Amino acid sequence: MSVAKSEFTVQNAYSYNQKDARRWILSHIWRYKWFFIGAVLFSMIDFFSYSQGPVQVGRAADEILNPTGDTALIHIGLVLLAVLMTSSFAFLFGSLLVETLAQRIEADARQELYISLLGKSQTFHNRQRVGDIMARATDDVKQLNFMLSPGLRFIYETVMGMAVPLIYIAFIKFELLLVPAIFLVCYGIAVRRYVRRLNPVMQSQREQFGKLNAGLEETISGIEIVKASVQESYERTRFRRNARLFRDYFVKQGQLEARYLPFLLYGIALGFTFLHAMVLYRNGSVTIPQIIAVMGLMNVLRFPVFISIFSFSLVQLGIAGADRILHIVKAETELDENAGGHRHDIQGNVTFENVTFAYEGKDNTPVLENISFHIEAGQTVAIVGQTGSGKSTLTQLINRTYDVSTGRVLIDGVDVREWDLTKLRSQISTIEQDVFLFSRTLAENIAFGAPDTPQEQIEQAAREAQAHDFIQSFADGYETKVGERGVTLSGGQRQRIALSRAFLSDPRILILDDSTSAIDSATEDEIQQAIRRAQQGRTTLLITHRLSQIRWADVIVVLDHGRVVAAGTHDALLRTSPHYRRIFARYDVDLPPLETPDAEVNAETAAREPEVIA
Amino acid sequence: MGFIMDGLDAEEYDRQYTDRDLVRRIAHYFRPQAKRMGLVALMIVLNSLAYTGLPIYISNSIDRVQENTSTNTLLTIAAVTILLGSLGWVFNAVRRSIAASAVGNVVLHLREDAFDAVVKRDLSFYDSYPSGKIVSRVTSDTQAFSQVVTLTMELFSEILMVVLLVSYLMSVNIRLTLYVLALAPFIVVTALAFRKIARQTVTQSRRINAEVSAHIQETVSGISVAKTFRQEHAIYGEFLDVNKRSYQINLRTGFVFNSIFPILGILSGIGTVVIVYAGGLTAKDGALSAGDWFLFVQGLQMFWFPLTSIASFWSQFQIGLAAGERVFALIDAEPKVVQTGHDELAQLYGAITFENVDFRYNEDEPVLKDFSLDIKAGETLALVGHTGSGKSSIARLITRFYEFQGGRILVDEHDVRSLNLANYRAFLGIVTQTPFLFDGTVRDNIRYGCQDASDEDVLSAARSVAGGDWLDNLPNGLDTEVGERGSNLSMGQRQLVALARVLLQDPSIFILDEATASVDPLTEALIQEGLDTVMKYRTSIVIAHRLSTIKNANRIIVLREGEIIEQGNHEELLAQNGHYAELYNTYFRHQSLEYIEESQRLFSAA
Repeated sequence: MSVAKSEFTVQNAYSYNQKDARRWILSHIWRYKWFFIGAVLFSMIDFFSYSQGPVQVGRAADEILNPTGDTALIHIGLVLLAVLMTSSFAFLFGSLLVETLAQRIEADARQELYISLLGKSQTFHNRQRVGDIMARATDDVKQLNFMLSPGLRFIYETVMGMAVPLIYIAFIKFELLLVPAIFLVCYGIAVRRYVRRLNPVMQSQREQFGKLNAGLEETISGIEIVKASVQESYERTRFRRNARLFRDYFVKQGQLEARYLPFLLYGIALGFTFLHAMVLYRNGSVTIPQIIAVMGLMNVLRFPVFISIFSFSLVQLGIAGADRILHIVKAETELDENAGGHRHDIQGNVTFENVTFAYEGKDNTPVLENISFHIEAGQTVAIVGQTGSGKSTLTQLINRTYDVSTGRVLIDGVDVREWDLTKLRSQISTIEQDVFLFSRTLAENIAFGAPDTPQEQIEQAAREAQAHDFIQSFADGYETKVGERGVTLSGGQRQRIALSRAFLSDPRILILDDSTSAIDSATEDEIQQAIRRAQQGRTTLLITHRLSQIRWADVIVVLDHGRVVAAGTHDALLRTSPHYRRIFARYDVDLPPLETPDAEVNAETAAREPEVIA
Repeated sequence: MGFIMDGLDAEEYDRQYTDRDLVRRIAHYFRPQAKRMGLVALMIVLNSLAYTGLPIYISNSIDRVQENTSTNTLLTIAAVTILLGSLGWVFNAVRRSIAASAVGNVVLHLREDAFDAVVKRDLSFYDSYPSGKIVSRVTSDTQAFSQVVTLTMELFSEILMVVLLVSYLMSVNIRLTLYVLALAPFIVVTALAFRKIARQTVTQSRRINAEVSAHIQETVSGISVAKTFRQEHAIYGEFLDVNKRSYQINLRTGFVFNSIFPILGILSGIGTVVIVYAGGLTAKDGALSAGDWFLFVQGLQMFWFPLTSIASFWSQFQIGLAAGERVFALIDAEPKVVQTGHDELAQLYGAITFENVDFRYNEDEPVLKDFSLDIKAGETLALVGHTGSGKSSIARLITRFYEFQGGRILVDEHDVRSLNLANYRAFLGIVTQTPFLFDGTVRDNIRYGCQDASDEDVLSAARSVAGGDWLDNLPNGLDTEVGERGSNLSMGQRQLVALARVLLQDPSIFILDEATASVDPLTEALIQEGLDTVMKYRTSIVIAHRLSTIKNANRIIVLREGEIIEQGNHEELLAQNGHYAELYNTYFRHQSLEYIEESQRLFSAA
């Protein structure tokens, strides 16, 4: 088994411009440029024919006022029918083209993101929250979709829906453009102002709804404590405050929306256009049918006035989504592969030399400080400490999930940074607190990555991990699918499936975060047995809550606030470490007298102890 | 977009209220808003008049201009046109603002009532309904209910407009009006048919979207395993397959949604042509003026837009009503725990007596039958037994979270039913298996039971748990944010905070449901030290999962199927070699020092 390289590439993958969100979106659209150009063309046809409608109605009015013959009206009616049908079908085809474009880009963007996720290193994935990635692969790509359809469509429809009727009006009588032109300018200003004022209110309203929900959810989940502490009235006050704030935002949004100014402007523009047309009619430069046509064209403007509100926010949301997707796609792996590095079989000697580690970016308080200890090949080390003392981080330095800030971590005397990363990681196996199982059969989960493993070998590994018996107890045995038909595995069972995996892949160094707890003694026996067997013949680092494993570890390292405060065997620590004695104080142990009360403070002396023992 | 498709994700719910009851309930919430609603109705009428009046006036004016082009006439016409347009806008704006306040207030009032009803429920209610569903009734269903109001107003105004327009058109020309009306059934049928198709495709889309999410969730969560075993290509293949299906299904849904407006457009286009032609013939005969003819052409377009929304009104209205029913059902549910008196106690010593108590959660499963038990003030009592033996029920009855069916429970000689619950519960301190913390700081959480406790009191309560050593391990001490449900803290740290919370309350009776989950040995030691402090001088009832607690108890009660079958201390009971011995071997053996010491011999040979 070998750890994958952090590159995962797909042949013939289309490459997009990932420089920034706008360019990225454009390069996605560019891939389907013909769809886009087609959609815009159809939309142009749509609006030119749709605006022909009022023009033809004007012609019909002319025919009514000044009849020319019996067939003329039929003729105009047929032209009108053709014009309106052309418009509807062009609208239909244009929409379908943009929809196809949008759906394709959603799928493409998700694929692009997915490929990049597969290519990221473990370091990246260890740091990234799954929920966060999920949001980008589902919501953000959807946002991108909506931005194109209907967002992008709304934009060019707004442009055309305003430009085309105006062009027709200009053809009827150029002077009549005056009022609509002034209207357009005012309209632009009004919409801008409207969006700017509405957005923050909507945002606050959404947030407040989230708060209201979360607060109530909390009260209900903690209802036992609420009732036991007699805090019903406190919770009621809190809820009412949240509900009232939400009401305020709701009302405020309603009031802002009620005063959507562009509709008023439109009404005024309609009146002035009418006046202008009538004045021109009095001068004799415009006819009644022309007035009818112009008023009909003004009606066409109503639609863009209505839709343009949405297009702005859709585009904003789409660009924000694209930004978040790109952020993941472009994130770089900090650890280099070191492909030409040290490639040997690991013996299993692990040495920490004055290791200090702090996460980047945060306040730089070291998580681990000046850690030194040595583990001989094949030894078992138990790491003991409270939550937050740095236990997991310490083990993550061994397989280079993180690199040390100062000092060195050596395996078989070679700095881990000099090892070939693939070679290094393939020989170190980590079983974490939450063991992940795929929704496949148990056999496939055990032999994950080696589908051809014979059934006997799978069963053998499961037996060694004490998993065989409980697997057999399921109706479908090894063919049981994880997560189906109510088959849920307990933490202890998941852990033993992971141990089976480890028995198959046979790592030289095993890191085990063993925080599962057994409710009954029989299960405890099985877990103990499995872990004891896994320890044999390999260097093992245990982060464990099990006193029986701590008790019998070759070396126990006691961590406190990122420092080694004691290290040694059980007997030695009982004599020297007050921290360690505290654990056993509850048991009726005859604690030996504390020998050197200040030994614990001197981490360096303590850290040297294991070498003496080894 | 696509208001025709609104509210498609509704579920079918049983109707529980008669229409008359429902109307009465709804009216109750709107009565305080009566003035506002009256004003809204007035505004709707005025707005409809202005909105339909505008095209009518324009078309009339077109006819007038042909005869009279005096400056006065033109200015009057323009002024009236602008006035009608502006008034329409003003009426609409006033209507919407007032409606927003009225609806906002109704929803607020409804939410407050729903919340009050929810906190009054006893815990049996919370057992039967998941918290997510309760939350959605209080927040989302109330919101959905408000839709009924908005919808009714919209419908009212749209019907009014259609009626006004149609009656005016009727007065002008009946035959042409019938042509316009003939279009209505086509539009309604098309809109309803689209709803049906859309319902199907949306369901499929939702399903495939869930599948995509599930796939990504799984592969991202398990990516380290996939990488370790070099399975990226297999996973990528699966992704491509899901992604492609998602594309196809979503494209189909998109096509359906994008077709509705063009197809309705085709219908209205055909209608327009019919009116232009038929109306044109009428006008040529002189039976119709050019202006009125134009009004018919415009009227058609004003007509079909409201029609499509009227078509989708009914189902949305039902969804809103159903939501209202769910909220009312929540408000009307009766609590089961009922107090007979409101006696307040100045002090509680903590003697508890169960006298022939019968208790069951539901009809079929009796939990306690004729159960009697005396707990002395200051005693530490451990309850042990298999799951379902009734040990948690005893604790829950003492806290009065559930109602019991027979017998009596006395606390310091007072019937627990006669007590003022708030007063009584203030004497109880409870720590549950998974201690619940509220979002906020550690300090806020310790103070939760006594909101007016000073900072010094909080600090000293925290210090008295295990000497306060655990505080040093919190990044910001008492000011550490615990996160949602305490997620920033480890399970052990949460227990310590819960213990400090109880200590600040200084209860007379302490109830502990011990956690089965293991915590790191150092924290475990701290918790045990903390428990020693809390249990001192108090009546303590522990549902025990830890050997050390049992060993320290004054008395162990061994329960089986709701009956006490053994009691005594650890050594006595173990010597009896009865049910306790069996429980010990099943649950507690592996926690003993002997086991720890023997484990090397037991397992290394394997």
